[in-house]
Amino acid sequence: MFIHNFKYSLKVLFRNKSLIFWTFIFPILLGTFFHMAFKDIENNETFHAFDIAVVNSPYYENNTIFKKAINEASKESDNKLFNVKVVNKKDASKMLENKEITGYLEFSNSDVNIIINDNGIYETILKFFVDEVNSNKKIIENTVNEEISKGNLDYQMVISNVMEKLNETVEFKNISRSNLSYTMIEYYTLIAMAALYGGAISMYIINKNMPNMSSVGKRNSTAPIPKSTLLLSGLLASLVVQITGLILLFIYTIFILKIDYNSNIWLIALLAVVGSLAGLSLGCIIGTILKTNENAKSGILIAVTMFLSFLSGMMGITMKYVIDKNIPILNMINPAAMITDGFYALYYYGFESRYIFNILSLIVFSLIMLLISSISLRRQKYDSI
Amino acid sequence: MKKIIEVKNLSKSYKNLKAIDDLSFDVYEGEILGLLGPNGSGKSTTINSILNLLEFEKGTIKIFGKIMKPDAYDIKRDIGVIFQEVAVFEELTVYENIDYFCGLYVSDKLLRKSYVEDAINLVGLKEFTKFYPKQLSGGLLRRLNIACGIAHKPKLIFLDEPTVAVDPQSRNNILDGIKKLRDDGATIVYTTHYMEEVEMICDRIIILDKGKILAEGTTDELKSLAKLEEKITLEVKKISSKVVDEIKTFKTVDSVIQNGNNLVITYKKGKDNLGELTSFLHSKKVTYSKIFSERPTLNDVFLELTGKDLRD
Repeated sequence: MFIHNFKYSLKVLFRNKSLIFWTFIFPILLGTFFHMAFKDIENNETFHAFDIAVVNSPYYENNTIFKKAINEASKESDNKLFNVKVVNKKDASKMLENKEITGYLEFSNSDVNIIINDNGIYETILKFFVDEVNSNKKIIENTVNEEISKGNLDYQMVISNVMEKLNETVEFKNISRSNLSYTMIEYYTLIAMAALYGGAISMYIINKNMPNMSSVGKRNSTAPIPKSTLLLSGLLASLVVQITGLILLFIYTIFILKIDYNSNIWLIALLAVVGSLAGLSLGCIIGTILKTNENAKSGILIAVTMFLSFLSGMMGITMKYVIDKNIPILNMINPAAMITDGFYALYYYGFESRYIFNILSLIVFSLIMLLISSISLRRQKYDSI
Repeated sequence: MKKIIEVKNLSKSYKNLKAIDDLSFDVYEGEILGLLGPNGSGKSTTINSILNLLEFEKGTIKIFGKIMKPDAYDIKRDIGVIFQEVAVFEELTVYENIDYFCGLYVSDKLLRKSYVEDAINLVGLKEFTKFYPKQLSGGLLRRLNIACGIAHKPKLIFLDEPTVAVDPQSRNNILDGIKKLRDDGATIVYTTHYMEEVEMICDRIIILDKGKILAEGTTDELKSLAKLEEKITLEVKKISSKVVDEIKTFKTVDSVIQNGNNLVITYKKGKDNLGELTSFLHSKKVTYSKIFSERPTLNDVFLELTGKDLRD
């Protein structure tokens, strides 16, 4: 029964013109639009070191790790990230107001604040730089505490272990890549959006299995098959359709638009596939739990997807930073944030823990959503159909 | 006779509206039971409740002697349902649609192939197997809808107004198909508005209104419930009002309506009303060009029981 329903779900989805347009054709059209709009920018825009400021304070002076990292990143070399000026807070604010700097860092007892006025690629880099140093700092502190708790007081040994741990865990590289471009970010966003569109496909499948949503759903509900079997086989077909759409998008952007995804193409594809699964599961839960008509559900799905994308910084990275800073839990459960964060992490650091964490988070999110949808569908009885 | 469906004290409300009110009835093996009732009488709600698609407040439903539950897959395996709305995939051809729905019940591919072909032949869609639903006329679409519901050869079939908006040719085809299914051993629950369909195919009828059973029985049994027994219409050249008044005094006459040269006489009861009338007319030297007698139809009974007020 599973294969039977899977096979026919594939046929139904591949032949549905509306779904195929939004899943296959729309992202390609949007990609073409990006290509036309950003072609010139792409040609002119290359990465250059940008200006930042650091507010001078005892906290900064005593923060050895950050101080060293900032010096290293502003040292004259091919990998130079930014030009830094250490000034007082008033001057830093004024410089930011006059757009002389991209942003400034202000250190407190336990934290580093990033103050920016805009949301662009350099603001993003600044944020990731701070995140990265914070992450390294944490590793050093944890490793030292670990060594001390083990009773290891050999200074050289502790240093050696810390360095080993740092090399194992962190690949602080590529951040100064010379081909950094707006266009690439737009293409990543496009892939993330296409991945989340999977929700529409899974919702179509859900609607075809609910007696209060469609006549086919009514007929399917009288069949001697558990709803979970129908749901899972249909969802698997949805995923296949979605992945096919993404493959076409990759083929089109690589071979027609000549987009260079660099060596990360397989990791991007993996993230896109897992992102599709999350999108599908999101459509599934909205389709299952909400008791309203098909059109209203579609509207809600689009609104939710757009809102989640907005929170994740798909329309400007500042929002993601604001959420990360003030309500971090929100982005930890937001699939759009997981996808974009995964892409950004991949873009700046390659295959490392942050990317893996996002992949795993998306899988966990998807499984939870699917489980709830399945339970909800199994238990549902209808007051009216 | 073996009971296939047992409905006991079934009640179902939509907010404050009682859709089914303490309904109890049985359906026996091999019969076609007609569920007759005006719009909103509770026919579809009854079927949806029996199928456990709807949650109901009270009552028990047994099918094939077992309690019906949403996950009673062994019961569902032998049930076929044809809903009012056409329930097919627009993206699949006629053959694929029937094969898909049949495949939810029959996993053996070879057996399924023969079942699908049988269903296609039964509803007369052999020339349209590669057509998509959008390419079919209303009648053909209805036939496809039926084929999708019965292809797996169920023992119990629910047909909820399957002939709505269907041309007479398709309707006959559908009704013949339903009779054939009954003759092949299936038990059928059939809901409709069309009295002539019920008279044609149903072995037993339940008239429902406001969620309650108003009457139950065979066509003849229901007709006997009518107050009206006979209606005689005659076309006369000339008749005096005195003669008309005399007819009105006949013991079994209920009413006499004169409309130009036509006289319509309705009788409550009585035997040989036609003979008595013709003898009387002869004795009064009244000549007539046409005279005919009609027994009450199911429609008369239906209107008498459910009233003539318009429904939604």
